[in-house]
Amino acid sequence: MESALLRTGFRRAMVACQNPAKRRVARQPRRFFATPVEPQGEASELQSAPDAVYASNGGRAAKSRARAERVNKDRAVSDHDQTFQAAPQIRFTSDGEQFSSSRPSAELIENDTASRRGRGGYGGGPPGRGGAASYGRGPPNQEDDPSRNILRHIRIVPASPSYFTATPRYTDDLLALSALLRKHQLLPLLPPGEAPRVAWKTIDQYKTELAEPIRSKSYNTLLQLLKRLNYIHPSLIPDEVTESLEKYKRDVQPHLNVPNPIIVNQYGVAKAVGRRKSSSAQVYLVEGTGECLINGKSLTEYFGRLHDRESAIWALKATQRLDKYNVWALAAGGGTTGQAESITLGVARALLAHEPDLKPALRRAGCVTRDPKRVERKKPGKLKARKMPAWVKR
Amino acid sequence: MSSSMCLRCLKRSLVPIESSLPLTAGQRAAFSTSPSLAANPPKKTAKPTKTNARQGKTLKLTKNKRAATTRPPATGERKALRKRVVLSNTNALDVPGLQDLTTDSVSGVKLRELQDKVAGLGNDTVDALRALEAFKPTQGWSLFRRPASLVRRETVELAELLQAIQDSNGHQVERRVVFGEKVGGKSVLLLQAMAMAYLKGWLVVHYPEAKDMTIAHTAYQPVTTADGKTIYIQPQYTAHLLGNIAKANRGLLSNMRLAGQHQLPVPLPPNCSLLRLVELGANDADLAWPVWQALWTELTTPSQPEQEGLQRPPLFVGMDGVDFIMRDSAYLDSEAQPVHAHELALVRDYADILSGKTSLPNGGLVLAATTGSNRPSAPTFHHYLNRNHAEAHLPTLVSLRDRLRAQAVDAHSASDLNFAELDSLLSTLPPSLADQLHTFRRRAMASQRSNASVAKFLAACDTFQPELPHWDPYLAIDQRVADVMGNVRVQKLQGLSKEEARGVMEYYAQSGMLRHTVTDGLVSEKWTLAGNGIIGELEKGAVRARF
Repeated sequence: MESALLRTGFRRAMVACQNPAKRRVARQPRRFFATPVEPQGEASELQSAPDAVYASNGGRAAKSRARAERVNKDRAVSDHDQTFQAAPQIRFTSDGEQFSSSRPSAELIENDTASRRGRGGYGGGPPGRGGAASYGRGPPNQEDDPSRNILRHIRIVPASPSYFTATPRYTDDLLALSALLRKHQLLPLLPPGEAPRVAWKTIDQYKTELAEPIRSKSYNTLLQLLKRLNYIHPSLIPDEVTESLEKYKRDVQPHLNVPNPIIVNQYGVAKAVGRRKSSSAQVYLVEGTGECLINGKSLTEYFGRLHDRESAIWALKATQRLDKYNVWALAAGGGTTGQAESITLGVARALLAHEPDLKPALRRAGCVTRDPKRVERKKPGKLKARKMPAWVKR
Repeated sequence: MSSSMCLRCLKRSLVPIESSLPLTAGQRAAFSTSPSLAANPPKKTAKPTKTNARQGKTLKLTKNKRAATTRPPATGERKALRKRVVLSNTNALDVPGLQDLTTDSVSGVKLRELQDKVAGLGNDTVDALRALEAFKPTQGWSLFRRPASLVRRETVELAELLQAIQDSNGHQVERRVVFGEKVGGKSVLLLQAMAMAYLKGWLVVHYPEAKDMTIAHTAYQPVTTADGKTIYIQPQYTAHLLGNIAKANRGLLSNMRLAGQHQLPVPLPPNCSLLRLVELGANDADLAWPVWQALWTELTTPSQPEQEGLQRPPLFVGMDGVDFIMRDSAYLDSEAQPVHAHELALVRDYADILSGKTSLPNGGLVLAATTGSNRPSAPTFHHYLNRNHAEAHLPTLVSLRDRLRAQAVDAHSASDLNFAELDSLLSTLPPSLADQLHTFRRRAMASQRSNASVAKFLAACDTFQPELPHWDPYLAIDQRVADVMGNVRVQKLQGLSKEEARGVMEYYAQSGMLRHTVTDGLVSEKWTLAGNGIIGELEKGAVRARF
């Protein structure tokens, strides 16, 4: 029976180790409760009464009781007084630096009661005085086990007080950021909506990193702090803030993927690329008298249709700048209209490089948006992309 | 005494109620089905059976008979309708102050004043040009009140050329081919040249469409020449051309008489005028070819100014669509091999004149225009067009290089030299030369930028030897075409300048065909959309566009 209990206990311990959600505070065995210590005779009387109450617990209570009986028997020999032994007083240390090293450390406790506390059950003596550690006067029969003795006097100081929370690393992060915010909360901020765009880690990514059960509410609190810290003006943002924000950002910041700006080079030429369907065009725009060459040919040679010709230079036509710029374009891929429309987009972008203020006018003219439409692929079971074969009854 | 029953009942009692014999249907009732039901079924009458050649189901089109309510067109009516040229639109406004091309205004100096403006054509000129089929149905003459055309830079140059030829008194013959983009104004330039030649009193001969000669739409027959070669004459087309010549040059031809003796199938009257001769050939296809030969002999005899009727003015010979004669025709010979266009007699005569083999003793202008929209493949001809065009610009390039070289010899370093001329010349050159100049310019700029010594630039000058385009030796060359084109000047017709575009758009606006105000912006816009001022596209965008 003992082995079965042991096995159950181990299994529970393993499950608890693997799954943090299943870590519950284990039901403490009775021997750690403040139970009165009775002499042997009365103990048996007293214990016979609760038998009925605890019988439902099965053998476990009986077992602990049996153990307590044995211990009480020992003590009863030495101490005949019937005293309620309160739990030893929690000794607080006023050492503010105990967590400064941020590494777990071991501390020796120099207290008598602490040594006595080491003996099983609450046969403990008067409350400890606190203070310097000293080797307590252990019972003569236990002095011959020095390692066990030391273990009773060692106190493990965790790296951070969050150790005692359910989610220590999250708590540490939260407290660190709160402290930073409190420290720098008077720094000037950017206007609302103008903070640098940052892709913060998702809650799943954060949880995976920390391996802790964090609620989305808790993570949102953290995000709020991050966003608030992000709003600090970039010219005055302290380095520590920037450093601490870095580890909450995603590895790849998508907003950093900005296209290269189109610039007007030393010869006054702006080069831009436009695409439509499967055509693409490279357009070089320079100030001039209104000439246009596409793949080395004139506009009329290249586009037989007036509509296509107008489309190609629509950006200039809509802004009445046909006589102010020269266009030299290389178009490839697709068909006539596709190439004409791709040149439209290229000319519009190059024109924006020369005159950025024309953007609203070009948008109204419909030259700015890249038309994303493409030819839909043919699917199996259909004749074309959507056309189904003739329906046959059977 | 009163009866016991009423009068009606008494009557009824007198008439038997039912008789054994029933009354006829007519007495009994007005409508009855009894007789018809009792009648025998109708006898089938024997119809005459139609003997049907095809048994079974046949297509019956009796219901869909096309009602021939309209008169069927006469022979040639549809073709005439298709090829008719309308020169006037009464709905268009009359442009005030539209000056005509007259004999005085056609001299080079006077015409400069009319440059970049539209000039009209007088009635006589229009009649002559119509007779020569110079107006084409695809052109926009029917949109305006009366025929008028823009006086371009090229028109003024032609006028000056005509003046120079006239002044040379028969010693100068100019042979030229005009090529360029489609709807670029080549045919209209030819028309303007014809009009100016007509106004100057020249004899004008024009082949309106060379295509008509070579696509085998007209009859042909082989003829053996004196040196044993077979050439093919086209009697009907020759007659047609002679008719055009007669109508157009009526006045001049009627004043000229035959200078020599000619062997014709019919006897000629003693003092026959040339007009009579030409009309003879025009009316009879059998006489057409001999008359044509006689006419050309007459026209190429030197003029004798002191003799009356033997004065011969300079000659203008024009042809439109000259690409078609620089390749094989659609005719086949007796071995079913394609006949080269130069084996056609008419074409051979023109080719001889164009190449200079047949000289024009009285001077003249031989002008040929290519076709842009209907271009057949004639690789040798197009190669020679490019080559001769490059050849015309080669001297300027070589002289520029020599000038820069001379400058470089005196200069200390490459940075002192001025390469502005290179940039200005680059835009005017044909593409083959422009590429070579571009390479040279790049090296010159590089040496200038790196501040290298003059020797480097001089080395670049020495290696810069501009070349004309070469014929690919792996392709078969058309030697006949090469021989003809070897000595012919070539002119490329580019787009209009902005001023010319403005002039023609103002004419459109004054005619009421362009409803916008002609501003610089509009002119630039239309100019750019017309592919840098191609006049046909300009007209399309300004006048013909329906939106």
